[in-house]
Amino acid sequence: MIPLIRDTASIAGKELKQLSRDPLALVLTIMFPILLIGNFIVIGSAFRATSHDIPAVVANLDDSPASAELLNKLTTSRLIHVTQVVQTQAQAFRVVDAGAAVGAVVIPAGFGIGLARGHTYVVAQLDFSKATSAQIMSGEVRLAIRQVLEEAKHGELNFQVQLATVEVITIPISGRPPTGDIIMPGFLGIIVTLGAFDDTVNAISRERDRGTFPRLILTPVSMFSIYSGKMAATVVLTVLRTGLMLLILSLNGLVVRGSLLLVFLTTLLIAMFTLSLGLVISSRIRSSSTLTVLEIAMTFPLFSLAGTGQSPLLLAPGGKAIALALPWSYGNDALRRIIYLGLGLPAVGGDLLLLLICSLILMPVAIRLSTRTM
Amino acid sequence: MPALKIFTDSIAIAANEFLQFKRNRSAVLISLVLIPLFFTVSQGAGRGSAGSSYSQTANIPMVFVDNDRTMASVRLWQTLSGSQDFHRLTQASDEQTAIAGLGLKQYYAVIVIPKGFQNILVGSISNSTQARLILYTDDAEPGLTSEVTGTLTNYVQNFNPSIEVQPIVSELQLVRGRVGGVEIIRRGTSFPGFNIGLTVILAIVQIFAVFYEIAGGLSREREEGTFARLILSPMNISSMILGKTAFDLVLSTIRTFTVLGLGIVLYRGHPNTEIGTILVLSLLIALMTMGLGFLVSALKVGLRAVVILEFFLVLTLYAFSGLLIDKELLVGGAAVIANSLPFSYAFDAMRRTILVGRPLLSLTTDLTVMVASIVGLYVFSYVLLLTFRERLAT
Repeated sequence: MIPLIRDTASIAGKELKQLSRDPLALVLTIMFPILLIGNFIVIGSAFRATSHDIPAVVANLDDSPASAELLNKLTTSRLIHVTQVVQTQAQAFRVVDAGAAVGAVVIPAGFGIGLARGHTYVVAQLDFSKATSAQIMSGEVRLAIRQVLEEAKHGELNFQVQLATVEVITIPISGRPPTGDIIMPGFLGIIVTLGAFDDTVNAISRERDRGTFPRLILTPVSMFSIYSGKMAATVVLTVLRTGLMLLILSLNGLVVRGSLLLVFLTTLLIAMFTLSLGLVISSRIRSSSTLTVLEIAMTFPLFSLAGTGQSPLLLAPGGKAIALALPWSYGNDALRRIIYLGLGLPAVGGDLLLLLICSLILMPVAIRLSTRTM
Repeated sequence: MPALKIFTDSIAIAANEFLQFKRNRSAVLISLVLIPLFFTVSQGAGRGSAGSSYSQTANIPMVFVDNDRTMASVRLWQTLSGSQDFHRLTQASDEQTAIAGLGLKQYYAVIVIPKGFQNILVGSISNSTQARLILYTDDAEPGLTSEVTGTLTNYVQNFNPSIEVQPIVSELQLVRGRVGGVEIIRRGTSFPGFNIGLTVILAIVQIFAVFYEIAGGLSREREEGTFARLILSPMNISSMILGKTAFDLVLSTIRTFTVLGLGIVLYRGHPNTEIGTILVLSLLIALMTMGLGFLVSALKVGLRAVVILEFFLVLTLYAFSGLLIDKELLVGGAAVIANSLPFSYAFDAMRRTILVGRPLLSLTTDLTVMVASIVGLYVFSYVLLLTFRERLAT
């Protein structure tokens, strides 16, 4: 038992020493999460931004105070930017068709009279090839109409219309605002996954590229010690990556409600599973660069299917089935429950156990395949 | 005849590339099968087929707590539980117990009807007050809170307690929308999520594979020492660039058809334009990426660095060029970057042709930017490769 631990520690030490001697690999290990998170922060900030300049065009065909007020609400909106006010509906639609605006709002003639009678309409032509912008603009038109109606209740314009009868008050159980960030734990999960894939490339494929892997195998160290040593190195690196990521995410407003120890345990299990899978794949694909490309290509679907940015519950049935079959989904789920809800081991134990079992199954497979394809 | 020599040399380079590619089974598998497959399946599985629609909230377990126990609250329960969006809605009697169970993955939302709901609702007709219901959500599930809130709001905003059967919220009603007495007639075609995703996949698969094939291929040749031999041969740089471009255009064509085939057969994707237009756009994106790939390889970048650069290139494009978020939503420096990236124009052209059905030739700005950037990148790469060729060979 003691030689096994000693050999494992030696291999882990060798891995970390090699990494420290390779400036590019070392920088990437540290910079990778920072650059990645930088990208996601840009994406996230675009979604959370309180103001946008979505180009819009308005045709006001009515000359009532109500239509003027609606036009005013639209032009002073913080989300849409009325670039043109045109005279006809056709002109407005043409601007959208030409791609110069995401949407056109047409306030029809008689809008004010209709509103006073309790029923009227507006027309919104939207370019749904820009789906998110079109949805935001649609929401902004609704908001502008609602504001006109609400202000009218207290002002001189008293329209015979009634607002929605039932209002939904949403209370997320974490206590965060309903519009709060939803994907920071997912960032952590995906970065740990990418980091562990990178460790696989460092651990096996680059040794093969350099020709040092056969020499390592010819030493008296057992195959199990070699692999567990590489796993131990990944554990150390994952602890560093998780710490760094938590620091960056905290600076971006993330509050960890649960146990930090449990967060580290979850990321370690995600990394161990990823490394085990990477080792299995690396036994078939020898080139380090080909392996990296494959692993990066595999990571992108994980963004959409493993609960990184969207709950697997919201996926189409096929996607939900794939998500359930991916162990990363359980790791990401556990991270979210620990970080956002502050849940403990009893609540996430099942997820962690599943990750551990998958790693324990894959590791012997990797060792077996590596021995056979030596 | 220098032109003829360049042509024959290019053919020789392309043939050599094919030969090497054919011998590398894992490269063939990854480039032509796995990358298109991963991206297409992840889009299709996540968003569902283009021909089918599904309710995101229908199969999410939720609990309904009725503290009012009046005719209005019972009718609201009947409306929701009988709808197509709340198939797994069950009733619970105790509000606190129901809320305490959230987060344990048995159910993900609790809809609470407060006491006095009916009274306020009936009174609202005369005194303009609004009844409220409270929705508690498990926000450890990303996106679930907004989705359930939106769907529930659609059902209750025009809820009428005095009629037994509520009007069903149809797609048409959702499209038309209503705020108070103002109807919003929404025009413009909504596109199935998969069709929007298809434009993203077609672009990203090309960028992902092509950048590695060009920049990675040249870096590998340099690291293996074959680049030095190529430089010492009588072939010139332009033959090498043209040969590799021809080789990669063939691969890009195969990939385009693979993605389209998978999208159409598996997920009933329906492009609103001809295959030829899609192919031309796809190849223009491939050419832009090739230009960038040659440029990067002229900077003597190692193979590992190429792979890392590729990852960040794809991420940058996701963030800044309208693939994931519309560039209209970006502000400040991000908007400037988005408008400076030629890929933004290519993706825009992709959406306007494949989704909206605009003829490619009518998108003059997008086409001009694409062609200009291809020419610029190729010329710049050629100059750099020519200038640094000795440095690259050592």
